[in-house]
Amino acid sequence: MNFWPGFYSLQGAWYLLLLVPLVIFYFLKLKRPHKNVPSLALWSQVINDRRVNSPFQKFKRSILLLLQILLLLFLVLSLMQPYIQSGADRAQYLPILIDCSASMAATDPDTKKSRLDLAKERVTELIDNLLPDQRISLVAVSSTAHRLTDFTDNQRVLKQALTGLTVDDVPSKLEDALRMTQALSRTVPIKTVLFYSDGNFPKEVSFDLPFELNYQKLPPAGSNMGITSFNARKNQTGNWDVFIRLENSPKSENPATIELKQDGQTVAKEELILGKGDSQRIEFSINTKSGSTLEAVLTPGSFDSLPADNRAFLKIPSSRSLLVFISPDLESYRYALAENKDLELYPRKEESVGPAEYDLIIAASEKDLDKQALIKLGVGFIPEELKQYISLETKLTDMVDWNRSSALLRHVELNDVQITEQPVWAENAGVENLEGLGYEVLVHGRLGPLLLQKRNSGELEFFFLFNTDHSTMPYRVGFPIMVSNLIQLTLQEAGIAEVQASATPVLPAVEYVPEKKYQIKTPDGQQLSTESNKNGLVSGIAALHVGKYLITGEGADSAEICVSLLNPQETSLVSIDEIQFSEVPVTASQTQIDSDKPLWVEFAFIAFVLLLVEWWYFQRRPAGIPS
Amino acid sequence: MSQETQSNQYTSLFDNKTLSMLERMRLNPTRRLTNRSRGEHLSGKGGTSTEFSDYRNYVAGDDVRYIDWNIFSRLNRPYMKQYQHEEEMHVVLILDASSSMDYEDKFLRCQQLAAAFGVMGLLNFEKVSAYACNQKGGRPAKLSPCTGRISMKRLFDFLTKIEVGGDSPIEEAVEDVLRSHRGRGVAIVLSDYESFGDLQRPFNMLFSAGMEIFGVQVLGPSEINPEINGDLRLVDSESGQTLDISSAGDLLGLYHEHRALLENHLAMLCRQRSGRFMTINSGDSLEHILFDLLRRKGWVL
Repeated sequence: MNFWPGFYSLQGAWYLLLLVPLVIFYFLKLKRPHKNVPSLALWSQVINDRRVNSPFQKFKRSILLLLQILLLLFLVLSLMQPYIQSGADRAQYLPILIDCSASMAATDPDTKKSRLDLAKERVTELIDNLLPDQRISLVAVSSTAHRLTDFTDNQRVLKQALTGLTVDDVPSKLEDALRMTQALSRTVPIKTVLFYSDGNFPKEVSFDLPFELNYQKLPPAGSNMGITSFNARKNQTGNWDVFIRLENSPKSENPATIELKQDGQTVAKEELILGKGDSQRIEFSINTKSGSTLEAVLTPGSFDSLPADNRAFLKIPSSRSLLVFISPDLESYRYALAENKDLELYPRKEESVGPAEYDLIIAASEKDLDKQALIKLGVGFIPEELKQYISLETKLTDMVDWNRSSALLRHVELNDVQITEQPVWAENAGVENLEGLGYEVLVHGRLGPLLLQKRNSGELEFFFLFNTDHSTMPYRVGFPIMVSNLIQLTLQEAGIAEVQASATPVLPAVEYVPEKKYQIKTPDGQQLSTESNKNGLVSGIAALHVGKYLITGEGADSAEICVSLLNPQETSLVSIDEIQFSEVPVTASQTQIDSDKPLWVEFAFIAFVLLLVEWWYFQRRPAGIPS
Repeated sequence: MSQETQSNQYTSLFDNKTLSMLERMRLNPTRRLTNRSRGEHLSGKGGTSTEFSDYRNYVAGDDVRYIDWNIFSRLNRPYMKQYQHEEEMHVVLILDASSSMDYEDKFLRCQQLAAAFGVMGLLNFEKVSAYACNQKGGRPAKLSPCTGRISMKRLFDFLTKIEVGGDSPIEEAVEDVLRSHRGRGVAIVLSDYESFGDLQRPFNMLFSAGMEIFGVQVLGPSEINPEINGDLRLVDSESGQTLDISSAGDLLGLYHEHRALLENHLAMLCRQRSGRFMTINSGDSLEHILFDLLRRKGWVL
């Protein structure tokens, strides 16, 4: 801190020339009025006595002049717009990023102020101390970056934008805000960017800083407990197992009550105590056939900083059988699935025409894969678009390696499987060619890939490039496990065996009538409007707040979609002290940022006080008059 | 006082009622400084008046006519009856008629007080003379010693005809008076005493001349409580000299201190010479001064 004040408007010093006329007018005005007195004898003694007793007599004689000079000096100083220099380089253009993620709503147990309130206070202070040549732009950082104001020195606009800033129930993404600021730096010179946050965001940020980032970490909030995961899975008895994961922040041990409501009725309730930083999974079992809406409500037994993560919603779908098409040539698959009562296998002997859409197609030819399905498995052929890269040779081979984390190959052991058909890479072809077409190799053979996976819009496709029936695979334990994984995968894609609660910041896509307009009412009362695409999908709707979103429109019939926070990072309220960028780390500033403090208000106030003193001096009752 | 009523008054200085009250009052000097000539003023010495004073033992040579025979018959011892000695006392009225007195009825109050003291003297068969001093170096206007009710008119005429104005300081005025005055008694000095000179010398001279000093300081209300403020140029009414003062409000405290000091100094000068001193506000009513203040201070009976 430099205690020597700077002057923004040094040319105001010219007004000091007013001292000359002030002094001249003072002495011109000093033509004393004459007063006749009987005798000067007493007054002469008085004057002599004062000269002897008062060392500041000369000062006293001109005290009015001095007051007027001081008044003028302070007025001129105010005009010169002095400020106390903070010591730091004064940024002319200063973007201020303010974290608005869910954790910023966490309150302090003592002050009841949220982190966002604290950030607002600090930014307001900066705005108050804004110097005339400084411009500030406010950017809100949540799941995306939102520019609140342009670069401006209009304090009213800045404060209005700051007041309207609210917390979104979403995790924060710093990268978006930094990229936006980087874009701004192309129009104005930006040396420093201020970032106010509680530190609750991913530590590693993939971004190359072109400017200096001043990370102002806000003080931590109180303890918090919340729901971080909410899902359900259909068990073998037809009931649904509901799983709720609760997490506690590392601050203190807290009791809580978790309540599960099914269509508004409480169906289960449990009390528990979570230790510091503990995570606990609660399991309930519910029975429903026609589908229902579940709501988990967490009631903490002590102070809870963040209320947004205390509610979560889950939609249980109606139960139905999976529609599975299996090419007649693939007997092993039909055999493996024949005993499953929840499946309807096609083609049936008595029916020549099957349904228009299937959940799962297991086809021995590419032609059968043309049908609509959620999951498609091609067996024993090479897709047409891959034939230039892979060819099939009749040669004994085996599996070299496979992706064990793949949902299809989970718990599947493929060692020592003998295959009589061997896919072979064409010359100069490789994995990168497949990846360019959206394929992922799940199983590698000796000379080429054996199993491929491709996500094709809403469909998931797998391709065994060899005929599994021409291998020892159907005779291995891994085969029924793989078929079971395939069914589980289909159930997941169909959403009828396992469901997860939707989380902010985007509503899950829903399918209605194609190319129709739909209105969405958000939990905070806002009305959004969107249009379904040609497939009838309504997607990409921002869901920034936890709660129920009401969709109206053709086919929607006031459908409710509920979203929850469900973010362990936000619930834990952990904060990082250092942001790791691609090249340099940025450590949280330990001290609050100093801004240049304008002093003109203080000087103007002193001038006003001097004016009052001068007025009082004129108007006061003369000293020494006996009462 | 209306014009008609005023024409019926004996003097313009005060009304007849006040005059009649004054006629019943007399001066009460501390010391009984009297002339040898007989008068009606009771001297401290034993005398031959009808006023009984005391008894004393008879000594050889005493006039047997003054033996109290009634006591002699009872005690069989002679005692002499003593009587008050009544001598003439000279009341000298010295009025400061300089320009400084021409403010806020100061001189009018001076005239009224001088007249009142004069009336008290004349009606008690004292010799009364008056002097009015205004011009420095000039001879003061003088009312020759006179006595008796018959001289009242002369006294009033003299007082009312005094013209105010001049630069005579009071100390020089007293000296001028003493050059022509003869006789012991009371010197009533009526002035504002706002002088640059030293009053010790004239007071000594008065004392030496056998005069008991009655100092009356007459000040105007604006001199007792001046209400001035700001930057001023004060002009002396006598000399025309000027004095610039700034922040006059700040000086008022000192002014009051100095005025009190002057008052104390004058009172001390008078007291050291067995005299009396009093400050009078010309704004106060004459009745208050004559019948309340002077009586309470023991100046008159």
